[in-house]
Amino acid sequence: MTHVVTESCIRCKYTDCVDVCPVDCFREGPNFLTIDPDECIDCAVCIPECPVNAIVPEEDVPGDQQHMIQLNAELAKKWPSITKRKAALPDADEWKDKSGKLGELIR
Amino acid sequence: MDPQLNPAITQTAASHDGPIETDAVIVGAGPVGLFQVFELGLLEIKAHIIDSLAYPGGQCIELYPDKPIYDIPAVPVCTGKELTDNLLKQIEPFGATFHLGQEVSVVRKQEDGRFHVETSKGTRLLTKTIFIAGGVGSFQPRMLKVDGLDAFNDTQVFYRVRNPAQFAGKNLVIIGGGDSALDWTLNFVQDGPNKAESVILIHRRDGFRAAPASVAKMRELCEAYEMQFIVGQVTGCEAEGGRLSGVKVTGSDGVTRVVPLDMLLVFFGLSPKLGPIAEWGLNLERKQIVVDTEKFETSVPGIFAVGDINTYPGKKKLILSGFHEAALAAFGAAPYVFPEKRIHLQYTTTSPKLHKVLGVETPVFD
Repeated sequence: MTHVVTESCIRCKYTDCVDVCPVDCFREGPNFLTIDPDECIDCAVCIPECPVNAIVPEEDVPGDQQHMIQLNAELAKKWPSITKRKAALPDADEWKDKSGKLGELIR
Repeated sequence: MDPQLNPAITQTAASHDGPIETDAVIVGAGPVGLFQVFELGLLEIKAHIIDSLAYPGGQCIELYPDKPIYDIPAVPVCTGKELTDNLLKQIEPFGATFHLGQEVSVVRKQEDGRFHVETSKGTRLLTKTIFIAGGVGSFQPRMLKVDGLDAFNDTQVFYRVRNPAQFAGKNLVIIGGGDSALDWTLNFVQDGPNKAESVILIHRRDGFRAAPASVAKMRELCEAYEMQFIVGQVTGCEAEGGRLSGVKVTGSDGVTRVVPLDMLLVFFGLSPKLGPIAEWGLNLERKQIVVDTEKFETSVPGIFAVGDINTYPGKKKLILSGFHEAALAAFGAAPYVFPEKRIHLQYTTTSPKLHKVLGVETPVFD
């Protein structure tokens, strides 16, 4: 029972999603946000907030993003909580339309 | 802070001679569960209502008590707390019995068609119908995720205080930055029957969600060397001879220190979990309970599901949708409770029968 942040978030990290989360389930890494699957209640309010449509329900994760389900769970365990919106990464706009960004992820 | 339940209540419930017999059991005392009492009440169906929280209101109270809600019809704005209070007032005439601070652990259909329901506190009920208004699940304490710590749950690691006396005279480490963490810290530091030997409060940052007065009091006690406050995150634990001896705390300076302890209290707030409802044999879809849109009945006849926990084509998780579902579910359940009776739709404005049920005067118009 969770939502998943897909690769689109990598190197952008707009953080619009974290303000609306009622259960504070977002975790912050250097250039990516993840959702703690143990906390997310599937309320879905974060989905429309993301400017790059990075967030999807677990059941709707596309085939080429399946690995992100496990990665969200794994990274959520070690990254700190983020509950207040902050500025996106400086070059977010250059990266927002790119795909296949997994290699850019800083853990 | 968890309200303390008088142990006598649990004992009385446990020694009750046989189960409580009733027409309806509502699982979940959030806004939709509360309104279900109202809709059943109008049809003269008596209800018992169970919730894992020690107070009614569900998500409205647990997630957003002070946030304004704008989409309740004819209520331009109200908070989660106000909505709950108003619903409690609205259902008062129906005298529903609340069983709070307990989860439903068993649901079993009997041969006579009724359901046997049991809770974690030993309350047993025999009911003709069940209404699951479980929202996003029951609220459970968030766990501290550190390897090897779980082995000490309920012996040295606690997520709620059931019996404050067991912490008296002990070296305590308390983790968290909300009201529960601060209230219990003050309780165990200050003179009284439960005073601990020592108290160390740990929070990941030097800022708190708790009431400012409690935070100020805590800082005062630190300055008086009555207790200690450490900024840091617990990153590991140490055990010695089968007992938890300390936790590893990584501070904002990046240094990890071992903090020795007898008992660890963790207050990370509550997070909802679907829990045993998933195992009641109901048809589920994406962990929501599948219902029809005529009666909001589940795949098990006699069990209905209303509010955020159900799903059907076009489902929207809105409080107002839950209210609608509660009304139709009540009518759907009436034949189970009154098989012989013809049920008519009546209006609270004009029906003297409903006025009697509501305990109000029938108005006279000239």
